[in-house]
Amino acid sequence: MALPKRIIKETERLMAEPVKGISAVPHEDNLRYFDVTIEGPEQSPYEGGVFKLELFLPDDYPMTPPKIRFLTKIYHPNIDRLGRICLDVLKGNWSPALQIRTILLSIQALLGAPNPDDPLANDVAQKWKEDQNAAIETARQWTREHAKP
Amino acid sequence: MDAADPEARPHKRRRFVEDSSPVVESIQRHSPPPPTSSLPDPTPPSPCPPTVTPIDLTSDGFNVSLLQAVVGDLPSSVLHTLESRSGGDVQRAINLYLDGSWDRPAPPAAAPRQPSIQRTFTPPQRRIESESNKTSTHTTTPPIPTLTSNPERRYVGSFGATGWATKSGRGLLRHSEKVGIERTRVREPPGKRKVAFLKKQDVIIRFTNARGEEVGRLENEYATWISTLVDQKICSFEGTCVYVPDRLRTNDTIDLRLTCYMLRSAFDARNIKSSTNGTTTLFEAQESQEERDLRLRQVALVKLFEAINLHPTRINEMADRHKRQGLLQAAESAENKEQKSKSKPTQPGSSPPSDEGEDGEELEQDQLDSLYKKAQSFDFNTPEMTPADTFALDLRKYQRQALHWMVGKEREETAEHRNESMHPLWEEYAWPMQDADNKPLPLVEDQHMFYVNPYSGDLSLDFPRQEQNCLGGILADEMGLGKTIEMLSLIHTHRNMPTREEGDMGMATLPRLPKSSDAVEPAPYTTLVVAPMSLLAQWASEAEKASKEGSLRTLVYYGSEKSANLQTLCCESNGANAPNVIITSYGVVLSEYTAMKGARGSQGGIFSLDYFRIILDEAHYIKNRNSKTAKACYELIAKHRWVLTGTPIVNRLEDLFSLVRFLKVEPWSNFSFWRTFITVPFESKDFLRALDVVQTVLEPLVLRRTKDMKTPDGQALVPLPPRTIEIEHIELSQDEQDVYDHIYMRAKSVFNANADAGTLLKSYTTIFAQILRLRQTCDHPVLTRYQDIVADEADAALASDLQKGLSDDMDLGSLIDRFTSEGEQDVDRFGAHVLQQIQDEQESECPICSEEPMIDQAVTGCWHSACKECLLNYINHQRDKGITPLCFNCRKPINARDLFEVVRHDHIPNDDDHIFSDTATPGLPSTQRPRVSLRRIGITGSAKMQALLTHLKALRRESPKTKSVVFSQFTSFLDLIEPALTRDQIPFLRFDGTMAQKARAAVLTEFASSSKPYVLLLSLRAGGVGLNLTCASRVFMMDPWWSFAVEAQAIDRVHRMGQESEVKVVRFVVRGSIEEKILRIQDRKKFM
Repeated sequence: MALPKRIIKETERLMAEPVKGISAVPHEDNLRYFDVTIEGPEQSPYEGGVFKLELFLPDDYPMTPPKIRFLTKIYHPNIDRLGRICLDVLKGNWSPALQIRTILLSIQALLGAPNPDDPLANDVAQKWKEDQNAAIETARQWTREHAKP
Repeated sequence: MDAADPEARPHKRRRFVEDSSPVVESIQRHSPPPPTSSLPDPTPPSPCPPTVTPIDLTSDGFNVSLLQAVVGDLPSSVLHTLESRSGGDVQRAINLYLDGSWDRPAPPAAAPRQPSIQRTFTPPQRRIESESNKTSTHTTTPPIPTLTSNPERRYVGSFGATGWATKSGRGLLRHSEKVGIERTRVREPPGKRKVAFLKKQDVIIRFTNARGEEVGRLENEYATWISTLVDQKICSFEGTCVYVPDRLRTNDTIDLRLTCYMLRSAFDARNIKSSTNGTTTLFEAQESQEERDLRLRQVALVKLFEAINLHPTRINEMADRHKRQGLLQAAESAENKEQKSKSKPTQPGSSPPSDEGEDGEELEQDQLDSLYKKAQSFDFNTPEMTPADTFALDLRKYQRQALHWMVGKEREETAEHRNESMHPLWEEYAWPMQDADNKPLPLVEDQHMFYVNPYSGDLSLDFPRQEQNCLGGILADEMGLGKTIEMLSLIHTHRNMPTREEGDMGMATLPRLPKSSDAVEPAPYTTLVVAPMSLLAQWASEAEKASKEGSLRTLVYYGSEKSANLQTLCCESNGANAPNVIITSYGVVLSEYTAMKGARGSQGGIFSLDYFRIILDEAHYIKNRNSKTAKACYELIAKHRWVLTGTPIVNRLEDLFSLVRFLKVEPWSNFSFWRTFITVPFESKDFLRALDVVQTVLEPLVLRRTKDMKTPDGQALVPLPPRTIEIEHIELSQDEQDVYDHIYMRAKSVFNANADAGTLLKSYTTIFAQILRLRQTCDHPVLTRYQDIVADEADAALASDLQKGLSDDMDLGSLIDRFTSEGEQDVDRFGAHVLQQIQDEQESECPICSEEPMIDQAVTGCWHSACKECLLNYINHQRDKGITPLCFNCRKPINARDLFEVVRHDHIPNDDDHIFSDTATPGLPSTQRPRVSLRRIGITGSAKMQALLTHLKALRRESPKTKSVVFSQFTSFLDLIEPALTRDQIPFLRFDGTMAQKARAAVLTEFASSSKPYVLLLSLRAGGVGLNLTCASRVFMMDPWWSFAVEAQAIDRVHRMGQESEVKVVRFVVRGSIEEKILRIQDRKKFM
C-alpha cells in the first residue's frame, strides 16, 4: 500500500522542523514505524532522562490514532509496566486533525503533569496519591537508572 | 423383350456405366439364356469379371447361370454333377461346389469369388440398349444416334432391387422377363385421411409380369424413394426379372434389375419448384406440402444416384465436403422431427437421434467464436492496395489490405474463369454413353451432361452458372478498426468516372434525359450509404475528412433534404454533378419503401435508382429477415452490395441469413436452402455440420479482423492506448437506502403474493417494473417518481401502473421527500465573515489528508474545513464505531445535514454562458479572489451523482482539458445530472434519442471540435452504437446494463481507432443493491 500523502508530509516536517526535546525517525523498511525519543521535561521527575518509544501508524491512520508505547521503563501513574500510555487523545479523543507531532507533545506534557486520578498503573497511582514525594523520588530514581541519555 | 436381345447378351458383363467393383461384376448371374442363344463363347477380354458362358443346361429348377455367376465358369460335366447332387437346388449346388464336397478336384481360379449370400444385393443388369432404343420413340437409331432435342426420357442407369411376391404359382414370372413397374393408384380418394398419413403409407410399387399381371411389390427400402421419383414424374423405371424362384410363393424374394430413365418433364419442372423464398413465413411454421415434396425428391435423387452408382463428373468443392449422406441425414431428421408426435418413422434406421429440445436456436459463444475463427484467419501477407489519389487519409496496412480485398470482390465480374464456374450447389453428371450392355446410347446434341442439385432435388439440363450477384461482401471488422474509412477508400478507389466514357456500360454514350418514370435509372457514379440515424452526420464528416477537396460529392438524404429528386440528380447524364455518396438512414429507406407502391421511379426517391454500390452500415439492423426494414433493404438495387457490421451474427444463424439475402449470395439467399442446410442440422444438434456450412458461406464473403489480432511480429493490429475499467462501489446514503429498502420490500411482497397466487408469469411485467424501480433508485431516488417517462425508456412504461401505486404510497413519498428536502434549504444564513474565513482556509491543506489545497473543500456546521471526502469518511468512521460524529477540530458534534461544499467559481474563466445564479453567492469585496459559495452536501442528489461529480472535479484538476462521456440508461437521470453539472460549472453536452438529427450532429461536432473540457451526457441506447467519441478519454457508466456487451459497445465509442490517450472507465455500482446482482448476471453471460 502506497504511503498516504499525509504520512509523507508529516514525516518530512518532523525532519525539517524538529520539536525541541523530541525526535521521531521512521524505519527504513517500514515508513509507518517510528523510533521516538522524548526528553523528560524540565522540573519534572523525568528531567534529564531520554525516553525511547515506538510509534506505529495503522492502516486507517489518520482516522484512527497512532499506536504508541514507551520502550524505556518509566515510573508514571498513566503509563503501565508495558509502556502503554493512558492519554485521551490516543483513545476516544483522537481526531484526524491531530498529528504525530502533537501527540508526542501531549506525551511530553503528560510526563510533566502526571494524573493519578486517571491511572493506568494502579500501584504507581496509589503510591503517587499516598506519598507523592516518595513516588516522585522513585520516578527520578528510575529515570536515572533506565533513561540514560 | 427377351426375344429381342439375345445378340446383346455377350456384352452384358460390362453393362454398368461405371465398373466400380468387381464384386458387382462377378455376380452377374443373369437369366438363363434362351435356347436359341447358344452362341460361341464371346468371353470379352475384360480381366476382372469372370465370364459367364451361356451354356444351356437349363432344366426347370436348376438355375445354371446363377450358379455360374456365383462360382464362375464351369465345364458342363461339372454342372451336371452338381445338378444331380444338389437335386436341382442351386444354392445347395453352390455350396457343394464351394466346399469341394461334390467330390471332384476341380478348383477353377474364380471359384471362391462370391459368397452366395451376396446375390440378393447385387444389381444384375442388361438389356438396356434395346429398351432405350425402343422407348426413345421419336428418334431413329443410327449407329451412334444423335438427337437434336431431348427425348421424352433418357437412360441414366440401372440397379438391382428386390421385391416380394404377392402371388403364388408357377410360371408367373420368368428370368429375364420384362417387368412393369407401376405405381399404385389405388389410394387417391381425396379427404380420406390426413394428407400426411396418406403420403406415408402410399409408397407401394407394384410390378407386373409381361402379361400385365401383378406379381409382387418392391421392398420398402426401394419403394420409398422410387415412389417419390415416379410420383413427381422425375424418372420412370423398367424392370427385368433377375431371379425368381421357379415356384413362386407369396412373400418370396424376387430379384429385379431396374432401369431408370430420367423424364424430360423432370427438367422442365425445375423453375417452378425452386422458388420458395417468398412463402417462408415463420420459421417454426409447418413444412408446406411443397417443401415436403422437395425434401422427398431430394432424398430420392440422392438414393437413386447411390443405387445406380452414378458419380458427378464435376462437383463443387464445398458440396463435396458436406457429403450427400449428411444431406440425407438433414432431410431425414427434418422428417423425424415432424414425425415425432406421430411416432411412426418411415425412413428405416439411419437417421440421427433427434430428441432435441426446441430451443436449440441460439448460438453459444464458443460456437460463434469457432464460426468467426475461419473468417478471421486473416493472412497478414495478403496484398495491399493504395487508395486513389483523391483519398486524403493514410490507411494502415490492414486497411489497405481490406481495400485490396474489397476491390477484388467488386471486380470479380471481370475475371473470365469466374463465369465458367458452376453454381456451388449443383453437381454435374454425364449422361451415360453406353447402356448396361455396352451398347452406345443415343446422344443428344449439346446434351452430354445433366445437372443435379442434391440439396433441393432440382434437375437441370442447362449449365447452372454461378450467378455473379454478389459483387460485394460483409466487412465485419471489429468496432474501431475503421470500417467506415475502409469503405470510403473503396468508394474513392473503385468508381466510375463520369468524364471517361464507359465503353462497356454502353449506355453511357447515349445520355438520355431522365424522365421521372416508373423505370429505375442507373446511377453509375453513386454509392448509397444506409446507416442508423445517429451515424449520418458522422458518415458525412468522415467522408469529407477522407476526401481531397472537391473529389467527392456527398449528399445527406434525410429530413428536409429529402426534397431532392434523386433520380434527376444521380442519373448518368448528370454524371458530372451527381453526388458520389448519398447518405441516408434505415428509417428513410423504410418509409420510402412503404410509400412506394409498385412504381419505383415515380417518386424520384431512393428506390428509383440502380446504384453503383450500396453500403449498409451497422447492418445488424436488418438481422430479422421478416422485418420491414430488412425487406425494404432487399429491394434496393445496386451492382455492388456491402454490409458493415461488427457482429454479423448477433444471436442466431438466421441473423446471417438476412445479410446474405441482402447481398444476394446465391444460393444461400434462398431461405429453403438455408433452412435445409443450416437451420435444420443446427436444430437437430448437428452443430458441427451446420457451423461448418456457415463457415463456408462466410469464408468468401466476410473479412473480419479483431482488435486483439496481432501481426506476425506481435504488434497489435491497431495500437490502441490502454484502457482500464474500474468498478467504483457506491454506498447509498441512509435516506437513499431507506427508499431502496422500501421498494425492495414492496417488490418482494408483490413477488411473494404472486408466487403464492400462482400468477407469477402473468405479473412478470410488474416484477420487471419493480426491478426497474430498484435500478432507478440506485441512480437517484427521484427517478422513481418521474411521471413523464422519456420516450426511449420503453420498459419504464411498463411500470406506469405501478408507479401510480407508488406515488400514492405515503411512506415512500415521505422518504423521498426527506431526501429531496435537504437540498432545497438555503444557505443564506451564513455570514460573509464565515465565507471569508472559509476562503482563507481554502488554499491551506486538509487537516486530515494533508492535501493542499483541499479536494472539494467542505465545511462543518462549526466552520471547520477539510476535503469533502475526508470529512465524510471521518464521519462515517465514527458512525461505524457507534460514536456521535464530532468535529475533527473542535470536537463539537457534527450534524451530518450541516455539511457544506464550497463551490468555487473559478473553474471556467471567461465563460459567461455558464455562470448561474442559483447558488448563494454572497458578494465578496475583492473581485480578484475567486468567489465562493456554500452548498449543502446532498443537494447534488444521489450518492452516485456525488461520486460522478467528485470524479469530474478531480479530473478537472488533474488534466483540465480532458473530455469525458457519461452514459446512463435513464435519460431522466441525465436530466438530473445536468443541473448538478451546471451548478459546478462543468460544461456539458447532451445527446439522446429524443433529439433531432441536426441537433445530434451539432452536439457531436461541438463535442469533438471545442477546446472546452466538455462532459457529454449520453443515453446508453442512443449513443451505444456507432458513434465516434475518441476526443474523450474518460468514460463514466452510471448504471450497469444487463449485458456487458452493450456497455462494452458504449465504451468502445471512446476506445476505438483514433483514440490517442489512455482511456479510463469508471463503472458506478451501488454496493449491496440489485446492481451488484446485475454485474453477476453480466459475468455469467460473459462466460457463456
